[in-house]
Amino acid sequence: MAHITINQYLQQVYEAIDNHDGSFCAELLSFKHAHVANPRLQLSSPEEKCQQVLEVPYDEMVAAHLRCTYAVSNHDFVEAYKCQTLVVQYPYSVAQPFSLLSRALPVMFAVTLDLRIFANNAEQQLLKKGKGKQGDMLEKAAELLMGCFRVCASDNRAGIDDSKKWGMLFLINQLFKIYFKINKLHLCKPLIRAIDSSNLKDDYSMAQRVTYKYYVGRKAMFDSDYKPAEEYLSFSFQHCHRSSQRNKRMILIYLLPVKMLLGHMPSHQLLRKYDLMQFADVTKAVSEGNLLLLNEALAKHETFFIRCGIFLILEKLKIITYRNLFKKVYQLLKTHQLPLDAFLVALKMMQVDEVDIDEVQCILNYTDGKYMHKANPFPPLSSSS
Amino acid sequence: MTAPFYFLSKNFEKESFEEQKCSICSGFLILTFLSYGAAAGPEGQAVHENPEWEKARQALASISKTQSATKTAQANRTTAQVCVLMCLLSVNGVLIYQLSFFPQINNLSPSAPAPSSCCPLNLPPRSPTSSEQPPPPPPPAIPPSPNSQYPLPQGQNSYNSMAYPNSDPNQMRGYNHGQGRPNYGQGYQTQNSYQLQQNNNQQQPQGQGQYGTGAGRGESNKNKNQKQQQQQQQQGGQGQQLWQRMKQAPGAAAVKFNIPKRTYVNQSFPPGEQPTGLAATPSSPAAAPAAPGGAQTRPQDWPQAMKEYVQRCFTACENEEDKDRTEKGLKEVLQKRLQDGSAYTIDWDREPLPELKAKQSRWEAVPTQRTLESSVGRGGGTGGSARGRGSGARLGHYRNVFSQRSPSSSSSGSSSRSPSPSHSRHRDRSSQRHRHSVLNCFIVGQIILPLTVRNHYYLKNKMLITFVLLHRNIDDANTTALGKKRKGGNAGLDFHDPNREAKKQSRAARFHNTKMRSEPLVLSINNLELPKEDLSWEDCPIVGTCQEITKIYLRLTCAPDPATVRPVSVLRKSLLAVKAHWKNHQDYPYACEQMKSIRQDLTVQGVRTEFTVEVYECHARIALEKGDHAEFNQCQTQLKALYKDHPSDNIGEFTAYRILYYIFTKNSGDITTELVYLTPALRADECVSHALSLRAAWALGNFHRFFQLYRRAPRMASYLIDKFVERERVIALKALLKTFRPDLPVEYVQSSLGFLCLDSCLAFLTGLGVTFFPSDPSKIDCKTSSACLAAS
Repeated sequence: MAHITINQYLQQVYEAIDNHDGSFCAELLSFKHAHVANPRLQLSSPEEKCQQVLEVPYDEMVAAHLRCTYAVSNHDFVEAYKCQTLVVQYPYSVAQPFSLLSRALPVMFAVTLDLRIFANNAEQQLLKKGKGKQGDMLEKAAELLMGCFRVCASDNRAGIDDSKKWGMLFLINQLFKIYFKINKLHLCKPLIRAIDSSNLKDDYSMAQRVTYKYYVGRKAMFDSDYKPAEEYLSFSFQHCHRSSQRNKRMILIYLLPVKMLLGHMPSHQLLRKYDLMQFADVTKAVSEGNLLLLNEALAKHETFFIRCGIFLILEKLKIITYRNLFKKVYQLLKTHQLPLDAFLVALKMMQVDEVDIDEVQCILNYTDGKYMHKANPFPPLSSSS
Repeated sequence: MTAPFYFLSKNFEKESFEEQKCSICSGFLILTFLSYGAAAGPEGQAVHENPEWEKARQALASISKTQSATKTAQANRTTAQVCVLMCLLSVNGVLIYQLSFFPQINNLSPSAPAPSSCCPLNLPPRSPTSSEQPPPPPPPAIPPSPNSQYPLPQGQNSYNSMAYPNSDPNQMRGYNHGQGRPNYGQGYQTQNSYQLQQNNNQQQPQGQGQYGTGAGRGESNKNKNQKQQQQQQQQGGQGQQLWQRMKQAPGAAAVKFNIPKRTYVNQSFPPGEQPTGLAATPSSPAAAPAAPGGAQTRPQDWPQAMKEYVQRCFTACENEEDKDRTEKGLKEVLQKRLQDGSAYTIDWDREPLPELKAKQSRWEAVPTQRTLESSVGRGGGTGGSARGRGSGARLGHYRNVFSQRSPSSSSSGSSSRSPSPSHSRHRDRSSQRHRHSVLNCFIVGQIILPLTVRNHYYLKNKMLITFVLLHRNIDDANTTALGKKRKGGNAGLDFHDPNREAKKQSRAARFHNTKMRSEPLVLSINNLELPKEDLSWEDCPIVGTCQEITKIYLRLTCAPDPATVRPVSVLRKSLLAVKAHWKNHQDYPYACEQMKSIRQDLTVQGVRTEFTVEVYECHARIALEKGDHAEFNQCQTQLKALYKDHPSDNIGEFTAYRILYYIFTKNSGDITTELVYLTPALRADECVSHALSLRAAWALGNFHRFFQLYRRAPRMASYLIDKFVERERVIALKALLKTFRPDLPVEYVQSSLGFLCLDSCLAFLTGLGVTFFPSDPSKIDCKTSSACLAAS
């Protein structure tokens, strides 16, 4: 495969199209496939050859793809991106064999995926040259993907088996990736709504659903909807393929803070298994009510947490830490009426600066007011709503 | 009834037909036979006479020979004849129905002859075996051409001879559709004449036109009913002799069948003569009488239906090319119609759109084909709808096959599908069936085209026709005929087909024509926009010459004129002037305008220096002080970009403002990104650290600390915090009310919520509708107040 001539390649494409072999066609248009490294295919102007062998519009699609391989081989991702935009406009805009779902989907998946990757790379390249603005390229790519998505979402005529709606979730996942990257989470809402209202939502492939739930869970987490976030992320974690350790780790990075906020602490084992020891101190500090340790842990791994976008979430663990700290005070004093001074002392011990009695009241206040309960002022967190 | 049937089947066996193999066809056959039997019974005509059958065959053969000898066109006809014959034989049930419709068709659109039934679809006569055996049922293919100018008298004669006085009652019902046209209807009902006869009737007028035999429509009917032979004679013409031969076989069902073929043949258009559009031939019987005023060409005088038709034609056009073509075609057609008056009688609603032509070019069709296709389409449509039982379901089936295979329906299909008032009757009764039939006819149309093309070939081959197709399941035939692209042979088709290569080539050619790009492919990559700053100002530097200190801000709508732009040196003075003016007058509109014009001049000259930073910082502060979000954010955006190259001392201040602004918008995502870019040095900045701790307090709900920080806000941070301090106060107050139940001192609220004085606190509280204890106004009634707050 790696050394076939252009004509052989085109012939393969032709046959793939002719046989309606969508997955093979997808391979031939994907940058995950070996042929892109074949110097014989990396042509700067493959139009003529393609035109001779392939029909409209596949000739343009394949020509653009080949030009794209050429651009990539030159590390010109901006050019590659531009070529890929040409490729992407086809899978669904043509009526012919690709209109049939099973044939079109793999192709669309392959080319849209590449589009996003090229957009990303192109943006990096532009930024290095000091051109363009952060997110510009990705936003443009997102627009293109949105176009594909609309085509898919509005396909109401085809039967369910052949509906383009089967392409929705993949595109949404791609869009999520972009939106999360460029920090435009608000754009996710209509996509989520589209899936929520879809009758196919439970029938997409598990891989797609895992990805989808991962992003929806993250979004819920950022929106401080911890309960649904936990649901989504748990689903994602449980159904993620066992061999995808990296993905599982990524899911855990968001699942852990949410779980902790809801009162479930991760085991040391789990953290070690997924190489997430950054959470170890945090977990320990929170369950011990060791505010000092928590602050240290957060400061120590701040970069990591911030880059993952969970720093602010972890910060909220302080509330639980306060609570656990005060619980200890309560356990020490063994009385149901606790003097605020005792809490103040505890806080000072934790090196919280400039605390006064008012602030203690305030902290007590936001630790949920449960301390007013006489019988069991500190019910297990996970049981509280 | 049974006897004839048996006889026939015997006959078939003789001809070495394998009826059993062709399930559908045989079904049709049986049907027909039955009906024939019924018809024959009363009349006493026997279907069985072998001799007659033979004669018919001979006649046909001779005809075909003669014709084939002459021209290709004629050749076409002959093939058509044979085809039709075969078709009739095989599927006569269907055919009959369709024939019954002819009258209507003719009336509506003169050009549309009776269509062939499904058979044509299936069976393009493929193998050239025995041209001698006319009767074989196979594929009929050619729909009667609209131009009955070609009327082969023979055909008509044959019809006549076939006189089937008593037709099956069921069939009669089916024919009732035709009653819409009084003449025909009568023919059917009263006279019990066979449908084929009706066909004759319809065609007669045409024939008459040509031959000048002059029998009126009504007359013709009668004639048919009574003495068809007379009609034949009247029609005379070349066909007569042939016809005579045919005549002799009247009694035999087989002969009858043959005859119908002829009719078809006659109708089959002479390629050359065919008018371009179906519409072009004004030969319909109905039209004839109306033919009067030819000269009315003024659009106002046009019948409304026709105007609508024209409109339809144009709306159907997809591009300019189509329009041109349509216009041309329409002109011709309409002129003719107007001249002969048929424009006023035609059912324009039913008229197929001429745009067909353009599309059909795909079929590499000779002009005639168009006519064929459309006429067939129409005829088939009507016929189908009339046809009650047998065919409906099958047609439906065809449709499936068809639609799967070639989803891009030809325009003929769509046109024939267009609803017509005159059809409504049928539709009421069997709208579904109608639809099927329409589809069917549409299929017929499509398939027939290629057939006609091939006809030339057949002729050259001395009309070799096999019946092999007959034996094949109709479905199979259909799929093969329809699924042109399908690879692999059909098991049933392995008979020798000399045309195969030719067909293949034509198929390939068609494929090639439609699919391959004709012009050089150009990847339009360069047209794509790049996210460049469009035309950076730095690319075309201007240096202003204007010396005015102040300038009114006007949004630029064209290239800036250096004479109105101030150079940096002047702008420095301007900035000072604006600052001084602001301090003294606090006139924000003026200050804002001046700042904007300074910014504009800087932008226009591509000046991005510390001075630019200073200008933006200044403007941002002024805007912040006056709460002008829009300007403030503009400045913030610019400052963020400017700080990359020209970090100023105030970078921390404005970073802090940005963080605070994100708190205001509750944009935790942006806060996080902002945190990523905070360098330790920046974190140490007074403003930034304050903003960060404020954010932490805010995030954790530590109101006490939050309001402490609020009161200690450095620089202009408090202006920003003011934007959301109320929001936070309400939340804090709710918490306080909950904690301090039952009573909360107002003073405590004032201190912990960061109010500077009691009055403002009270104003805040009363604004929220908080209730105080009547006995002690300095304390808040937590219970009622929290309920009140929760409700608000």
